[in-house]
Amino acid sequence: MANKKVSVWTDIQFWRRSAAWVTGFATILLIWLSFDTIGQITMGTNADLKNGVDKRVPAATVINYHIDYKMNKKRGHEVPVIGEKQLFFGKEWSPKDAEALLRLGKLTEQAKNCMDCHTLLGNGAYYAPDLTKAWLDPAWQKGGPMQGMTGKNTVEEAMAEFLQHPSQYPTHARMMPNLGITAEEAKGLVAFLKHMSSIDTNGFPRNFSKTVAQFKAGDTNAH
Amino acid sequence: MNFELFTPFTDVVPSFFGWLNQGPMTLTIFLHTLIVLPMFWIYFSEKKRLQKEQ
Amino acid sequence: MLTSIKTNEFRGDKSKELGMMYFRVALILFGAQLLMGLIAAIQFIVPGFLFELFDFSVARMVHINALVVWMLYAMIGSVYFMLPDETGVETVGIGLGKLAFWVLTAAVTVVVLVFIFIQVGSGTETSIWLINEGREYLEAPRWADIGIVVVVLTFYWNVFATYMKGKQTGIMTVLIADLFALAGLYLAGMFFTDNISMDQFWWWWVIHLWVEATWEVFVGALAAYALIKIIGAKREIVEMWLWIEVLMLFGSGILGLGHHYFWIGTPEYWWEIGALFSALEPVPLVAMFVHVLYDWGKEQGKAKAEGHPGAVMNNGPAMAWIVTNAFGNFLGAGIWGFFHTLPQVNIYTHGTQFTAAHGHLAFFGAYATILIGMMYLGVQYAYGVKKLTSTFKSKMAIFLIVFGVLGMTVALTIAGYEQVLVERAELGGGWTAFFAAQDLPWYIQAQVWRAMMGVVTFVGFIYLVWDLLTIGKHAKAAQAAAE
Ligand code: HEM
Ligand code: HEM
Ligand SMILES: [Fe+2]
Repeated sequence: MANKKVSVWTDIQFWRRSAAWVTGFATILLIWLSFDTIGQITMGTNADLKNGVDKRVPAATVINYHIDYKMNKKRGHEVPVIGEKQLFFGKEWSPKDAEALLRLGKLTEQAKNCMDCHTLLGNGAYYAPDLTKAWLDPAWQKGGPMQGMTGKNTVEEAMAEFLQHPSQYPTHARMMPNLGITAEEAKGLVAFLKHMSSIDTNGFPRNFSKTVAQFKAGDTNAH
Repeated sequence: MNFELFTPFTDVVPSFFGWLNQGPMTLTIFLHTLIVLPMFWIYFSEKKRLQKEQ
Repeated sequence: MLTSIKTNEFRGDKSKELGMMYFRVALILFGAQLLMGLIAAIQFIVPGFLFELFDFSVARMVHINALVVWMLYAMIGSVYFMLPDETGVETVGIGLGKLAFWVLTAAVTVVVLVFIFIQVGSGTETSIWLINEGREYLEAPRWADIGIVVVVLTFYWNVFATYMKGKQTGIMTVLIADLFALAGLYLAGMFFTDNISMDQFWWWWVIHLWVEATWEVFVGALAAYALIKIIGAKREIVEMWLWIEVLMLFGSGILGLGHHYFWIGTPEYWWEIGALFSALEPVPLVAMFVHVLYDWGKEQGKAKAEGHPGAVMNNGPAMAWIVTNAFGNFLGAGIWGFFHTLPQVNIYTHGTQFTAAHGHLAFFGAYATILIGMMYLGVQYAYGVKKLTSTFKSKMAIFLIVFGVLGMTVALTIAGYEQVLVERAELGGGWTAFFAAQDLPWYIQAQVWRAMMGVVTFVGFIYLVWDLLTIGKHAKAAQAAAE
């Protein structure tokens, strides 16, 4: 009796119970993992920055610091490196002001729909350059073509100027349209971009960002 | 050669899942196993039920 | 299709009639989607086209929102269509269902008009509430989000109450659970945060857990219903397959979410989880393909053995679209998805035209196809046709649309390949690197091919509409003449 041949594999109840188990347990695992991840991607604090504590997503006051993106031997890819203090639009921002500015920037990013042309952290549309590390792009630095074109002396001022009058500074036949971005909103957006460049993206984009000239010389920006 | 089978934890923040993620597929094999193992139990309990019904 | 409501063939089946109302709006939005796609595709080649009037971002936003919304419409329509057949009772709240339909349609119209004419707002919460939320696929402003939730709750109540009142088949049980998760997930996309990593973390909960978990299971349930309806497949077998599909789809798809958590600030452990779970996602898609062909072959063989000549199915075009779905789902989601799902590959392909290639073939193959099939089922019943056979127009529609989308996918895959090698691998992905790749002759050529294949798709769509509008009437007339 106990050894009767039965076919469990064609038994609907076996599959129904298995489906319920797998779905339920995968959901529980996902929720558990999400709690862990949320803890890790919650923004750090100003104190973390002062004490040099690495956070995947630093506090808004990271805009008061110099940011770099360098090869890390231990991690095996590039990571953001937060360095010395650096003025942002000519001043140091208090935690409250920095947070307000970042918030304005994020709201503007959404209201102007940046993500339906650009990618942020690699997600969005593929019509215009990825903005994940735009703050660090050689084109915007001193001597770079974007900063030169706007006639400004700092990365933040050059970016803010471009954002307000993008079609005055074409870099390509495909131009960014004028979205009616105000001077304040532009400042917010630059703060948002600077903050995003400080996020630890596990090495994306890789080998950022060699210019054609550097590439020909066999050089790279990731040391 | 720049290769180790089992690598030490390298991520920014230590965590349970990060700790399980120690080498080639350790974490994912662990999770897959957790999901699949109880299906054996479901299989045998259903087998028992079917045999009883016969 | 247009006159179907007046033809009175539903014999009091108000639920199917309501389903047809949803199908009709879905078809219109599908057309709008394609037109917007064409505008955006032209802007890749002729950058000045409609510049600062109707920019790429606007065209693209309407393109992908019309896509999501037409599919949701067609999904709701399909549920109302199958509900009386599955439960064996009348849908309980037809009046409420109609009201919800009109509320939803009014809201969608307002949202689209605002997208098209107002386009963007200032950097305030008000813009996000009233104009545009600016998060891909979920651009609908917050007021509309809330409206959508209310409408969907009404719909869900309707389905649930009918289910409780009538027969509780396996297909309906899966559907009830699946729709609950599908609707609930939308809530994960309804809040503002200034932390872009957190933003995208939850954004992917909605997008991924929709298209790679709940929508896939929905399609499984729909295909199960359609196979029973069209070729008379045996319910016990179909429902057993359905549970296996649920197991495999949710088992791989839920944690497969990790393939979007490689680079958005989330921890490294997602590399492994995302890679291995999502690598298994194609398995159920193969299983679904095998299942459809197996059942079809089996029923056909049985009919032959019993001495009935000819095809076993009672709806040729619907069956053609469902077989296309089985194959397209496997190809677009399974193969094209697997191409870039391992982090070792994804670090280079992430956010390139490669992603767009996959997005097109997957959405089309997995969802557009079967929903079009459901529309043909709708037409068959609206006109009381016993056996609907493909017309020349049906064949042109399916051929041109499938050929067009495949052509676009291949073109975008080539463009993506160029971009990956030059912009990402060679130059490291900055501003200059991006435009260096966009200017490659082969990249531009691929974009031109994509636009041309988009036109082919659109011509196919015209045939589709024409066919849906006429096939029922002609088949009914032919049937009457034969009787
Ligand atoms: C007339 C045919 C079509 C044309 C010309 C077209 C064109 C486009 C263009 C230009 C984009 C923007 C891509 C970018 O950001 O670079 C896009 C995005 C998209 N389209 Fe289409 N499209 C067409 C049909 C379809 C169809 C039939 C579907 C699905 C059923 C579809 C689904 C999508 C999706 C999901 C995206 C977003 C892709 C992503 O973000 O990766 N499109 N389309
Ligand atoms: C019918 C099912 C599917 C649909 C409709 C779909 C659609 C999409 C779309 C539209 C995107 C782009 C999202 C964006 O705009 O940023 C995407 C991304 C992605 N999909 Fe799918 N997908 C499906 C199934 C799959 C499967 C089964 C896999 C893996 C085996 C997969 C792997 C991926 C990956 C890795 C990405 C990220 C691409 C990137 O990094 O840029 N997808 N999918
Ligand atoms: Fe996904």
